[in-house]
Amino acid sequence: MKKSKKVSIDIANLLASIISSRDIINILEKFIKKIDAKTIDLDFTDVKFVSRSAAHALSLLKDKLRTKKDISFINTNKDVTEMLRVVAANRMVSKSQKPQFSLEKININSLLKESLT
Amino acid sequence: MKKVSIPNPKNNSLLAQIESLYKTFINVKDKESLEFDLSLLNWIYPLLVLPVSAYINNTHSEYKTSFSDKIKTYLETISFPEGIDSISLFQRKVQKYKTYIPISVLKKSGGAERERLEALFAEKIYEMLGSIPGAQNAVCYPIAELVTNIFEHSKKDTGFIFGQFYPNKNYLDICIVDCGRGFSGAYREEKGLKLSDSSAISEVMKGNSVKPEKERGYGIWTSKRIICDALDGGGFIMISGSAGLISENKRENLVSFPNFYWQGVIIAYRIPVPRGPVDISSFIE
Repeated sequence: MKKSKKVSIDIANLLASIISSRDIINILEKFIKKIDAKTIDLDFTDVKFVSRSAAHALSLLKDKLRTKKDISFINTNKDVTEMLRVVAANRMVSKSQKPQFSLEKININSLLKESLT
Repeated sequence: MKKVSIPNPKNNSLLAQIESLYKTFINVKDKESLEFDLSLLNWIYPLLVLPVSAYINNTHSEYKTSFSDKIKTYLETISFPEGIDSISLFQRKVQKYKTYIPISVLKKSGGAERERLEALFAEKIYEMLGSIPGAQNAVCYPIAELVTNIFEHSKKDTGFIFGQFYPNKNYLDICIVDCGRGFSGAYREEKGLKLSDSSAISEVMKGNSVKPEKERGYGIWTSKRIICDALDGGGFIMISGSAGLISENKRENLVSFPNFYWQGVIIAYRIPVPRGPVDISSFIE
């Protein structure tokens, strides 16, 4: 790839318009590593949604490549921006409280008898 | 080959569909080849048809259908039982049958192609619900998080997803299935924890990830909250091994399924068509 100061990557074109999976960010990482440029813009034009898991993987990727690449997220819509911010904030200060979950176990046959008869 | 009749659900509720699913797979041995008889069914529901489809694909089982043209045509329309794994086929199907979505087979090894197929699935679901502000997030979040969570942990290359919109009933049913190691297997292999199926489901719902990062593990818990709370009136089912979580009509139960074992995870949920704008931002913080 030709050496240039700054390279922009069209995320919707390279990956998808909805970025769901954590493992899809590995494809992006390999692509970035092949680019001979220090500054890289990840262009989120036409990306409609980024999952929390994918946003987390993007945040980890940015940190991982920090010393070699200066990565920016550009043209993110309101929802994608918010997701990236929430995930970044949670990485800085993670939730102190885990969700509460405590339910008594019931046999399916008892539940069906109670509910469907 | 053992013959198994799939009973028709007593009503439209997710719980009634679970009853049929339970009766279908009760006393079935691990990876046993079956012949499913679908002739008792008046209609095909995602929570019933997707696990059967996944099971047939995984075990080379067979099926026979009713003489009803309606059911036969519908099964063909949704590409039962093999499903489709290509974008071009998906697009052709949804172009031909506007209100039906085919069973989609997502392959982990498919990379960007799989991601685009999942995106098409989510966009089609959103399109069917109508352009309600915020609904795209509320639709995409559970699909994205549940698919990525269960497939990431299943250690199997293939996962199945299917949805059906019921315009007259104003809701949408979605089902996601894998035939992997299940939650209990994931905790055992990743963290060395020996948990029962119900304890493993509890750990998942408490946000205790099998991965080491503290900020991970919220995907399934948050998805359930979005479905049941943000989308007021939604229902959520999650089955793994011989246990399940059933959350429907404001009632939540951790359920044991005697003489039943699903190798992997089944997630099914119902989204009511939102009556107004949906804001999920407070749920993802």
